[in-house]
Amino acid sequence: MTMLRVRDVGMRFGGLVALQGVSLDLNRGEILGLIGPNGAGKTTLFNCISGLLNPTEGSIFFESRSLRFAPPHERARRGIARTFQNLQLWDSMTVLENLELPIDAAGNRNTLSDALGLPFSHYAERAAAERARAILHVLELDPFVNRLAGDLPAGIQRRVELGRAIAMRPKLVLLDEPAAGLDAGETEHLAELLRTVRERFHVSMLLVDHDMSLVMKVCDYIYVLDFGKVLARGKPAEVRNDSKVIAAYLGEASPELSESGAETVEEPTIIVRSSGPVHDGESAEAAATVVPAASSETESQVLAARGEPLLEVTGLAAGYGRLEVIRDIALNVHAGEVVACIGANGAGKTTTLRAISGVIHARSGRVRFAGRNITGSRPEAIARMGLAHIPEGRGLFPRLSVEDTLRLALDSTGSKAHIEAAYDVFPRLQQRRRQAVGTLSGGEQQMVAMARAILAQPRLLMLDEMSQGLAPTIVQQLFQMIHVFRDQGIAVLLVEQFVQSALQVADRAYIFEHGSIAHEASAAELRRDRKLISGSYLGSASAGEETAIEVAANGNGHVVHPELMETVSMRMPAEIKRALEERAEREGRPAGAIALELLEEVKK
Amino acid sequence: MMPGHIVRFAVAIVAFAILARLPVGLDQAFQFDAALALIWGFGILSLVLLTGYAGQVSLCQATFAGVAAYGAGMTVSSMHGGYLLGIVIGVVFATILGVIVGLPALRLHGITLAIVTLGIALVFDRYVFQDHIFDWFTGGTGGWQVTSADLLGIKVDSSQHLLAAYDVLLALFCLVSVLMVNLHQSGAGRRLRAIRDSEVAASTMGVNLTRYKLLAFAMSAGIAGLGGSFYPLIAGSVSPQPFWVFTSLQLAAIGVLMGVRYVPAAALGGLFMAVVPDVLTRYGHGTFMNRFNYDISFDWFQIAVGVLLILQLILLPDGVWGDMRAKLLHARGAAQRKPAREAPA
Repeated sequence: MTMLRVRDVGMRFGGLVALQGVSLDLNRGEILGLIGPNGAGKTTLFNCISGLLNPTEGSIFFESRSLRFAPPHERARRGIARTFQNLQLWDSMTVLENLELPIDAAGNRNTLSDALGLPFSHYAERAAAERARAILHVLELDPFVNRLAGDLPAGIQRRVELGRAIAMRPKLVLLDEPAAGLDAGETEHLAELLRTVRERFHVSMLLVDHDMSLVMKVCDYIYVLDFGKVLARGKPAEVRNDSKVIAAYLGEASPELSESGAETVEEPTIIVRSSGPVHDGESAEAAATVVPAASSETESQVLAARGEPLLEVTGLAAGYGRLEVIRDIALNVHAGEVVACIGANGAGKTTTLRAISGVIHARSGRVRFAGRNITGSRPEAIARMGLAHIPEGRGLFPRLSVEDTLRLALDSTGSKAHIEAAYDVFPRLQQRRRQAVGTLSGGEQQMVAMARAILAQPRLLMLDEMSQGLAPTIVQQLFQMIHVFRDQGIAVLLVEQFVQSALQVADRAYIFEHGSIAHEASAAELRRDRKLISGSYLGSASAGEETAIEVAANGNGHVVHPELMETVSMRMPAEIKRALEERAEREGRPAGAIALELLEEVKK
Repeated sequence: MMPGHIVRFAVAIVAFAILARLPVGLDQAFQFDAALALIWGFGILSLVLLTGYAGQVSLCQATFAGVAAYGAGMTVSSMHGGYLLGIVIGVVFATILGVIVGLPALRLHGITLAIVTLGIALVFDRYVFQDHIFDWFTGGTGGWQVTSADLLGIKVDSSQHLLAAYDVLLALFCLVSVLMVNLHQSGAGRRLRAIRDSEVAASTMGVNLTRYKLLAFAMSAGIAGLGGSFYPLIAGSVSPQPFWVFTSLQLAAIGVLMGVRYVPAAALGGLFMAVVPDVLTRYGHGTFMNRFNYDISFDWFQIAVGVLLILQLILLPDGVWGDMRAKLLHARGAAQRKPAREAPA
C-alpha cells in the first residue's frame, strides 16, 4: 500500500533546477533509500516532503491526501517526522525535553493552564515524560536523559534526533544522513537500531545517506537521484551493479582526456616564478622564470622521486565543534606531483585540506610544508609560503570584477607575478576582465579561482571539488589545466568527485573512508581496478568485508581473511605497502595474497 | 498542582513579604523609585518571555508600556472609569499592538527584526505620543493627570498612597513571575524555547510557528503593558518621556546584562534601571575625603550601562543572574556529590 506518493516534483531556485520530474512511491512499513552524488537534490526533496520548501511543480500525496497547502507543522501532525543533516536539536533543552515537545507539539492544552499548572496540564506532562523515557530507553539513551542536548557528542545527538522524530508518533520518518560523522562501528549499530525502530514503532522510513554500507544494508528499495532526476531505482543489489549509478558516482571514464590533453592546450608557457627564498633543492627548479610546458615534466618527476616530500602530513586529526571528522591522516605530496583524494562524501577529504591550509585547527598531528612545520600557522602565512587552497565553492567575491580579484590576490600575497600571466593561461578571462565574478558561468568562476591561486606563485595547489556543478566539457578543460600546472612544477592535491577524471591526471591517490585514509595506490593501479574505488563509494552486500576484500580478491578471486586485509590496507606503513604493491605487480598476483603468505611465514 | 508549583508560589509569597516592607522607611522619592523599578521590572520580564524564551528580538518594549500607560490614563481621566478598568484597557491596547508588531516577526529574524521594532518605537515616540492628532489618547501636551484612584477599594494614588500602589504592583509582579517560571517548565514554554533553538526543527516537529510567535509577542506586550498601566498611578501623570526610544534600548541592554533568560534577572534589572540614576543624581556629587571634589552626572549612567554590557558579554555571557545561578548550582551540586562519594568508602 502506497503511503507517500511523489509525482513529477520539480524545484527551481531562480535559474537553478534542483529537482526535475521526480516521482517516488513509498509503501507502508518500507525503508526506502535515496542516494545520489553531491548536489543531486536529495535534501531538497526532503524539504519538499516535510514542507520547508514548496515544490514549483508536481504534487506530493501522503496517505492519499495532497500536501500542497499544508505547512510543516500540519504535515508533522499528519505523521511525517524528519531528522536533519546538520543536527537541529534544541540545544539548550534537555534530552528529555527534546522528546517531550513533539509528543504534545499540537498544544492541545492551553498556555494559561500550563502557566497556572492546573491538574489537566500536570497529567499530560507526566504522560509525555513517561513516553519520552520509554523511547529513550529503546534507543539506549537512558544515561543522557537530563543532559542538555547541545552538550552531547554528535553521535549521541544523531540518536536523540531519531528519538525526537519517533516521539511524534509518526507514520513516516525522513532520515537525512543519520550516519554522517559516525565511524564504522557506530554506523553498524545505527543500522541495527533503525531495524529495531521499524519493528517497535511501526514506522516507514525514507533514508538519505552517503554511507552505502548503511543504505545497502537497511533499505528495501533504493532510488538514485542525479542532477535532480531519478537516475535509477531498484533493490539494493540491482542498484549497486547498475552501470549508470556507478558512472554517476565515479564520473564517466574518459580515456580520451589524457591523450587529447596535450593537443588542445596550445603550449601554455606561462607562469612567472620570481625567485623567492630558496628552501631546498626543489625550488631551484621552481625558481626558473618561465617554464616551458613540455620539457619540465621529466624533471619534476625526477625531483618527485628523490628528496623529501613538499607536503608531509602525519597523524593529523581535526573536526568541527564536538565532531571529530578526520583522525590519523598521513599523506605526502612531492614536488611536481599530482595527488588525488577520493572517497565518499563525508569521508573527510575537504576537512583534511582545510586542516592543512590552516583554515581549521589541527587537533593533533603535524603538517610540514617545504621543510617547515606549518601546524597551527595562520592561513594567510601558510598561503604566503606557497600553499594555495581553492576551497569547495571557490571562495570568490561575487561583486568584484575579474581583474580586481586578481589584483587583490597579487596585493595580498605580495607576489611579483604579472597579471598578464594569468590571462595567458586563461585567455577567456581577459575578455571578461571587467565583468563581476558573480555574473560569470561556473566554469569561468573556477578559472578565476585557479588564476588567482596561480598568481600567488604557489608550490602546491590544493583544489577542492573543482568540477562541482560544472558541465562535463568544462570539467575536461579544467583537468587539462592540472597538466599545465604540473608541467610548471606546481604540485597539486586534488579532491574530486569525478574520480575517473581525477585518476587520469593524478600520479597517486589516497582513498578516504570514515575520516581516515583506507588505501593509498598509484593512479594507474586504480584506473585498472575500478572495483577498488566503487567499493569505497557504493559498499558491498556483505558489509564488513567490503572494499578491503575486493582489493585482495581482485583478479583471481582469491579471498583473504577480512581482518587480515584490514591490517594490510589500513595499518601498514606506506613504504611496505608500496613494496608489496610493486611485488604484486611483478608477480602478477594480488597484494593481499602476498601479504598473507608473508604473514604465514612470520608466524612459522 | 505539582510540587514544583507549590514551591514556586511559596517562594513568591516569601519574596513578596520581604520586598513589601523594603521601601517603608524611605522618603517619597525612593518609594517612587521602588515602584518604578517594578514597572521596568515588568518591561524586562516581558523581554525574558520574548527574547529569553522565544528567541525573538524587540526594541520597542517601552512602547508597549507607554501605550498601556496612556490607555489607562485615558480610561481614568477622560472616561472616568475605575482604575481596574484602566489597567485592563491598557493591557488590551498593548497586547493588540504586540500582535501587530509580531506579524513582521513571522518573516524576519535577528537584526532586521530589531530594526523594524526600533522603527515602531520611534514612530510611537515621535508621531503618536507627541502628536496632536492623538490628543484623545495622550491627553494633549500635559498628558493625563491621575489625582485619586482606588483599586478594589484600596486607595492607590501617587501623593498619599504610593506604598499601596507599590504593594499591588509587587503582588502582581510576583504572580506573573511565578506564572512565567511555570510556563518555562511546561509544554507551551517548551514550544517557545524550541522556536528559539531551531525554528525548522520546531515547525517540522509540529509546532505552529505563526501561532506561537504571535502568542509570544502578545503575551510579552501584555506583560510590559501591565507594568506600564501603573505608571499614571504612581507618577500622577503620563508623559511621553519615560517611554521614548531610549528606554526601550535600555530595557533590552539591561535585560541582557542581567540575564535575559531568567525571571529573577527582571527584578534585578528593574531595580538597577530605576534606582541607580536616582542614587547618582543624589549622591553623585560632593567631596571625597574632604579633598577630592567629584561630580558624577546622570549621563554617566548611560555610559556605565554600556561599559557594563561590554564587560558582561565578555565575562558573564549568560548575564549577571545566569552566571551567578550557574555558580550556585555548581557549588550545591559539588556539596551534594561529596558525601555521596564518601559513603561507600
